[in-house]
Amino acid sequence: MGFVAFLDGVQQSRVVTFIDGAPIVHGTAGAAVRERRDRRMHSWHHRVEHRLYAPRQHLQPGIWERLAPFRPVDSSAQEGEDPAPSRHPLSTLERAVHLVQRHREDLEQRLAERWCDHESRPLFVDGGISGSERVARARCVVGVVKSHRTLYAVDEAVGIVLRLARAERTTVFLIEPKKRAPVASWYLRLRDATGRDPTFGLVRVEVAREPAEDLTARADQVSRWLLAEGAPLALPDARWDRMAYGIRDSEEFLKAIT
Amino acid sequence: MSSPLGRVVATERRPNTPHEFHFWTALDCPVGIGTIVRVEGTQPVENQIPQIYGIVVEGLSYTDLQSPLHDVLGHDGSPEAASLAPTERAEIRLYTAAVLRQLPEEPLQPVPMGRVYLATDEDVAIALRMDGYLKEGSRTGIPIGIYRAGGTDAPIYLDADFLLGPEAAHLNITGVSGLATKTSAVEWLLQSIFTHFPPQKGSVAAVCFNVKGPDLCFLDQPGSIDARDRELYDKLGVPAKPFEKTQYFAPYHSKGHALNTLRSNDALAYNVHPLTWGLHEVLQYAEVLLNKDDIDAKADALIDFIARNVVGQEFADPILSRPHRVQSFADLEAWFRDLLRGMEAKNSESWRTHHVATIRKVRNRLSNISTRCAGLVTDDGAVSDLPFGTFEDRTVYVIDVAGLEEDAQDLVFARVITKLRESLEKRELGVNHVVVFVDELNKYAPNDGQDTYVRKMLLDIAERGRYLGLVLFGAQQFRSQVHRRVVGNAGSALYGRMDADELATPGYAVLSPATRTKLATLEKGQLMVRHPHFTQPVFVRFPRPAIMRGRDGAERFPQAATPTLDQAILRSLRALDSSVTLQWVQDAINIHEEQAVIRARNATVRARPNDVKSYFKAQLPALVVASSAKPRPAGVAIRGTPFDDPYGNG
Repeated sequence: MGFVAFLDGVQQSRVVTFIDGAPIVHGTAGAAVRERRDRRMHSWHHRVEHRLYAPRQHLQPGIWERLAPFRPVDSSAQEGEDPAPSRHPLSTLERAVHLVQRHREDLEQRLAERWCDHESRPLFVDGGISGSERVARARCVVGVVKSHRTLYAVDEAVGIVLRLARAERTTVFLIEPKKRAPVASWYLRLRDATGRDPTFGLVRVEVAREPAEDLTARADQVSRWLLAEGAPLALPDARWDRMAYGIRDSEEFLKAIT
Repeated sequence: MSSPLGRVVATERRPNTPHEFHFWTALDCPVGIGTIVRVEGTQPVENQIPQIYGIVVEGLSYTDLQSPLHDVLGHDGSPEAASLAPTERAEIRLYTAAVLRQLPEEPLQPVPMGRVYLATDEDVAIALRMDGYLKEGSRTGIPIGIYRAGGTDAPIYLDADFLLGPEAAHLNITGVSGLATKTSAVEWLLQSIFTHFPPQKGSVAAVCFNVKGPDLCFLDQPGSIDARDRELYDKLGVPAKPFEKTQYFAPYHSKGHALNTLRSNDALAYNVHPLTWGLHEVLQYAEVLLNKDDIDAKADALIDFIARNVVGQEFADPILSRPHRVQSFADLEAWFRDLLRGMEAKNSESWRTHHVATIRKVRNRLSNISTRCAGLVTDDGAVSDLPFGTFEDRTVYVIDVAGLEEDAQDLVFARVITKLRESLEKRELGVNHVVVFVDELNKYAPNDGQDTYVRKMLLDIAERGRYLGLVLFGAQQFRSQVHRRVVGNAGSALYGRMDADELATPGYAVLSPATRTKLATLEKGQLMVRHPHFTQPVFVRFPRPAIMRGRDGAERFPQAATPTLDQAILRSLRALDSSVTLQWVQDAINIHEEQAVIRARNATVRARPNDVKSYFKAQLPALVVASSAKPRPAGVAIRGTPFDDPYGNG
């Protein structure tokens, strides 16, 4: 059967102006599910939202009120355990960009949840799926992580991961982050990395952890689906070795409409 | 309203202009080269939402693939593996359309972004400005074919004012041979004209020159057409039947026994007439038959003198032995002989300023004409001509010159067209408009080579004929090889399938590469039409003519075998009187000379008398009644000398 749809998101941010040295940022976040029908990609659903980010604490009192009609997001507020950004413009700007990213992740999660509400067919999600409890438990969603800043392996296991040949995978392991939903995961080499960067063609796959299910069989099945997505190539994207064409298509779609 | 099939797009590198725009469609959209579309603007201009009509002239398709090599890499160099890929790349169908019309027409602006719709019948009429001449009460539309695209079947009309004058006129048809384009299109269009030519514009007839094979020999015979053709006939409002009124004209074979045409089957003889001319008719067009070396100023002056002062009147001169009345080539030869004899007798080198060498040269050239154009030009001056003055409405007059030598063909063109022009100028032809169809314009009005009388005459029609109602429908395989002013003056043009080499000539540079490619691959029955009202060429389909094709006609009505003299006479006279039998003919002509018999036949055919047999016999020369010689009187014995004759017996 294989994947029938692909979910990805994009974000853009730009400084509209500086008021008293504080950056006012316009952010755009979008997410789209592109469904594959007869080998052609079509939009299943998409969301694009725009927000204005302003550091309320760093603005004169009247300025915030004047921005109120645009329903701005305070980019100077403390967020969770993260401290409030300093008054340095770059610090505030960095926070704003981070908030745009969070917005994009939120949209992606909402779309993934929507898919889970309406569909039971496999959805390919660009990135992890543990951000949403609903999505992380859904059997129809597969998350594919392309970046490997964090390697879920230690000691000998790192070597095993990095030495994977094309179409080889690791055993399934469980990821149980504190603040996110637990998922089952494994590494899979999509393309031959001989003579290249050891992460070339390497992805980490996340699926729902179903205690009653044979995860090995599930990993084999999903790995086959992912290997089948090796063509067409996602070139000219720099991450083409790990990116499915359906995800590139979603990105291009979002770029066209945002 | 139908759903849109595309959206207008424009980029800085590929912007829209007032005369061109770009749009994309879904992959399965029924749009192709030649499709007419309508763009609905979004912003009102002077309180009116702009409507732009365009015709697709170019199409592009591409994917997001940046390099072909990426596709090779993606499928490990195996084309088979490519078919297994779960996803097709994103792909675009991007079309370029040339603007046909913008509403409102002013201000003329670049085409705005908007939705693109497939043109409906009504849209097609507006796009091609046909709405102006399809109004009830002042309708001048002549159906030329059906525009067909994506379920739209819209009739396309030409404006009679621009096809047959006076606004513009003439039609030029180009297409490779053997694909039923040129002749079929003309046959179809003439049927359409005869059906739809508006009554308020008067009468119309056609004169067609059959220059090769049996193409135009069976215009009055029904041909086979299929259901699709019938559907087109119904849609275009033209009856699917052959021409009701046709008249055929052909010269005789050189021996003069039978007409020189492929329509010689007895079953079709009822409307086939001889075409013969005498000295008077030919002398006016001597220029056609004599080349530049023949006709210098001196010779031209003598020919002019003969035409004005000698032919058709009593002519006397002291140098001549007797007065002459020159009516035929034979009379002219006698006149020349007498004149030269007189000059020799007086040892004179010139007569009335004409030098003896010029006289001999003109004699030689003119006398030669009846030999070169034997069958068409008669020695005896007998004339059988087209019915100038009594042309009938909606009638096709076919002149079969396929069997004639080139000189004789030129003579026929020159004289018939000149006569048509003269008659139309005087309003004495019998009809208000005449369509003259000439195939092989490459040959008769070539772009290069020396100037000929025929080319000058075709140029004259092309440039001035529309004011008279004399309309040229010309056809050729290579438009680029026809004189520019002949094709340039054709208000309308039809293009069938074209040769790629021809399409590469500069004349076709105005067409987009895709349109040229389509022209090179057109099916039978498809045409590209240019017309003054259409700002861009349009592709149409026309039905097969409901007329027997030349090849079929030649099989069904095989050419009669070359007849003997008595058979030829029988065939000619039986068309006038069915009681004539071969035995009667043989008895009647038994002892007469062949030329005398042919002259009698020609005279009878021209006169079409009530009593054919008597008339024919009366034309034969009277014979002296035979009588046996009287016996010579017996000799009388000479008397003997007298017995007592003193001088005898001595």
